[in-house]
Amino acid sequence: MNSKKKWPNFISWFLERPKKTGYILSLILNVLVILICFQRYHMLKEDQEREMKAVSDKIYENIEQSLKNCQATLVLLAFTINDNGIPQNFDRVSKQLIKTNPIISVLQVDPDGIIKYIHPMQGNEKALNINILDSESHKKEIYNSIKTKKIYFAGPLKLKQGGMGILGWLPVYKDNKFWGFTTAIIKLENLLKASGSNSIDHTEYEFLFSNKNPKTHREEFYFSTRKKLTETNYISKKIPNSNWTIYLVEKKHSDIYLPILIVGSLGILIGILLGLLTMRLLKAPETLNILLKDQETKLLKNELKFKTIFDQATIGFAILDAYTGSFKEANKKYCEMLGYTFEEIKEKGIANLTHPDDIETSLLNLKNLEEGKVQEYSSEKRYITKSGKTIWVNLNVSPLWENHEKPTSFIAFIKDITQKKEAEELVVKSQSQFKSLIDTIDGIVWEYNIETSTSTFISKKIESILGYTAEEYISCPTFWEDHIYTEDREFALRISTIVNKKYTNYDYEYRMVTKKGKIIWIRDIVNFVYENGKAVMSRGIMIDITVMKEAEKDLSNSFHLVSEQNKRLLNFSYIISHNLRSHTSNIESIISLIDNTDSEEERNEMMKLLKSVSNSLNETMNHLNEVVNINTNISLVIEPLNLSQYINKVKEVLSEQIKLSEATFIIEVGETNLVNYNSAYLESILYNLISNAIRYKHPKRKPIITIKLYKKRNKDVIEISDNGIGIDLEKNSDKIFGMYKTFNNNVDARGIGLFITKNQIDSMGGTIIVESKPNIGTTFKIYTK
Amino acid sequence: MKKKIIWIIDDDAIYQKIIEKIIKKSGVISSHTSFSNGNEAINTLKNTLEDNKQLPDIILLDINMPVMDGWEFMEEIKYLKSKIDKRIIIYMVSSSIAPEDKNKSKTFTDIYSYIPKPVSVNDLIAIVSNE
Repeated sequence: MNSKKKWPNFISWFLERPKKTGYILSLILNVLVILICFQRYHMLKEDQEREMKAVSDKIYENIEQSLKNCQATLVLLAFTINDNGIPQNFDRVSKQLIKTNPIISVLQVDPDGIIKYIHPMQGNEKALNINILDSESHKKEIYNSIKTKKIYFAGPLKLKQGGMGILGWLPVYKDNKFWGFTTAIIKLENLLKASGSNSIDHTEYEFLFSNKNPKTHREEFYFSTRKKLTETNYISKKIPNSNWTIYLVEKKHSDIYLPILIVGSLGILIGILLGLLTMRLLKAPETLNILLKDQETKLLKNELKFKTIFDQATIGFAILDAYTGSFKEANKKYCEMLGYTFEEIKEKGIANLTHPDDIETSLLNLKNLEEGKVQEYSSEKRYITKSGKTIWVNLNVSPLWENHEKPTSFIAFIKDITQKKEAEELVVKSQSQFKSLIDTIDGIVWEYNIETSTSTFISKKIESILGYTAEEYISCPTFWEDHIYTEDREFALRISTIVNKKYTNYDYEYRMVTKKGKIIWIRDIVNFVYENGKAVMSRGIMIDITVMKEAEKDLSNSFHLVSEQNKRLLNFSYIISHNLRSHTSNIESIISLIDNTDSEEERNEMMKLLKSVSNSLNETMNHLNEVVNINTNISLVIEPLNLSQYINKVKEVLSEQIKLSEATFIIEVGETNLVNYNSAYLESILYNLISNAIRYKHPKRKPIITIKLYKKRNKDVIEISDNGIGIDLEKNSDKIFGMYKTFNNNVDARGIGLFITKNQIDSMGGTIIVESKPNIGTTFKIYTK
Repeated sequence: MKKKIIWIIDDDAIYQKIIEKIIKKSGVISSHTSFSNGNEAINTLKNTLEDNKQLPDIILLDINMPVMDGWEFMEEIKYLKSKIDKRIIIYMVSSSIAPEDKNKSKTFTDIYSYIPKPVSVNDLIAIVSNE
């Protein structure tokens, strides 16, 4: 901009308008070039014309001289004519004259226009006696020549002697009276030779010789094939005393134009180039100016932009003094966040704005930054706003470097993260809620990472269910499988392996052993967590279902008991029906027979039968009563009984049979061993089984009866075995304990003892099992409840 | 009508006596033999076959008997079937009204019918004349 002022105004005008300046300069240079070319052209043209004139003048002079010489020769010849009109010594003189003027080929003397003397005669004989005045073609010129008394040159003509030539007629007077002519014939080629036209540069000029035909008045050219003169650049001269004109025509016009054209074109080109160059040179500062202006605008814009950013930013900015930590600047947002004006902020300083709990850390951070211990720092801190509210901000502080020197300012960015913090607190709170909720769930919540094969979580409930701590579970990778009850381990691991391959949610039940060694039932409900379609975690809950399982078992037992009872009752009803019907049908038949007989004897017989029926019925009723008693006696007294004593009691009752059969006893029951049972039933059961053992003794050996008492699965087992005849269980398994079922040939068998025994054991909630082989012996095992 | 030979297999002695009376009254039976269990009857049947004596036409078979009950008898008689060249009509006669007994009787193709006790004179005549 300063450059403008250095120049005068008109130059500035040009400097500021490079395009126009370029055009103008180019135009001026071109005009100059054209002018110079024009000048040059004229100079060349003049030179050429001068040269042409010199050449043509020389030729003209030569021709004129030749013709003058010819005239002088003819005058001399005329002087030889004596008064008699006879040329004296014509041949000698002519010869001499031709010798001195060699261009003349023939000399004649023509008295009264008639050719009378010719030298040389040889070859020209045909011309003798021709009257020149009769020549049609030159009549006018000839007479004109006579009249003016001047020599006249005619031709060129085709010579009778051959070739082309011109004729010079000089009128001769005697006493001022026309006498005749002296004539000279000049061969045209000789004239040309004398003119010197052959010596001109034929590349530059063309020499033309023309004659105006006296008859046609048309110009005819000689020594050339052209009929007409088309060029404009020529010099012409008329030869006196003839119709002749000589021309010198310029042949090469381009010789002048081409260099001028080249020089001119180059000049114009240079002019244009110089114009363009000027334009460009002048434009350079202008471009620089534009760039400068652009940069200026950009800078301004940037400044404005940064200013706007600083002021309008949605995060708070502040610039702090690096030494004092006081505020230098703070943007609108910063002030808004804290609720103070900038002046107030400046006055209060960082320490007073910061939450008391965060002051120490804040000052330490600033100190570290100032001392160069850290390059920058970020922290989450709290401010107290003007309204007394605490806000959480994310703070970033970094130094503002100037020329790699120690920073004098720090720039601090703050972003309000109160909401985020609140959300985080909420998350933490909900996490703890979630955790406590998980801990209150009546089951062990667990999580397992499939990829790393590690347990990642176990809820606190493990302590109350298994007695172990969560740490114990997590720290041992095989804790879970190690604590599965041995009998269920294989099953549980197999299920777990299968399901872990298929990733299907499932639940299954197995037993685990607690820290105290108690076996508990667990229901494990497993779910899979998928990420990108792949199972990454399994989660589940292990619920203690021991109580449920026991209840289920009790229920199942009760159900079994009830259904057994039902079955028994139904069976019993059939038995009762059968037993009673067999008697009633007999009674019915007997009565029918009594009714249908007239014989007294028969009637008496029938009455006897009726009595037998009555007895049988009574017996049946007693049996039924006994059985019904067992089945209906729900509230039996159960007490600890000394088994040994009961065995002895039964042995006493059966002492006679024992004695007769020579039976021996092996009693493996401790004398103080107690069995929880009903007294009457225990006695009845022992009686029935021992008496059976004696009754069904093997015919070939003495009975040996073994009685044992032991525990199996927490239950008392009374085992009574014999070496009797045994029972074919394959045939009789379904009727061993049936009523009125007998399975040997012993006629004493009534089929009631084992039926009652079974009912008694059943009603005590126990079971009886029989093992037997024919001819070897039988073992009964009585399980208590 | 040709009189029939009837076997009664029942452990109830009173029933045996009553049925004898009924047979006598009916007059359609030429002879009758009573057995108190299946085993006795099977043994007799074997002897009868060996001695080539006359086989019964009709058997009235009780179910519940000691030693060998009616069902066992039916199992045993299967082994003798090939030797028996006569059609013996077996009736299951019982005071049981348990459906399982009646159903079980149907599983034996050799049992002609199941008759609940008591058997009257008319019943017996119907049985004999059924052929």
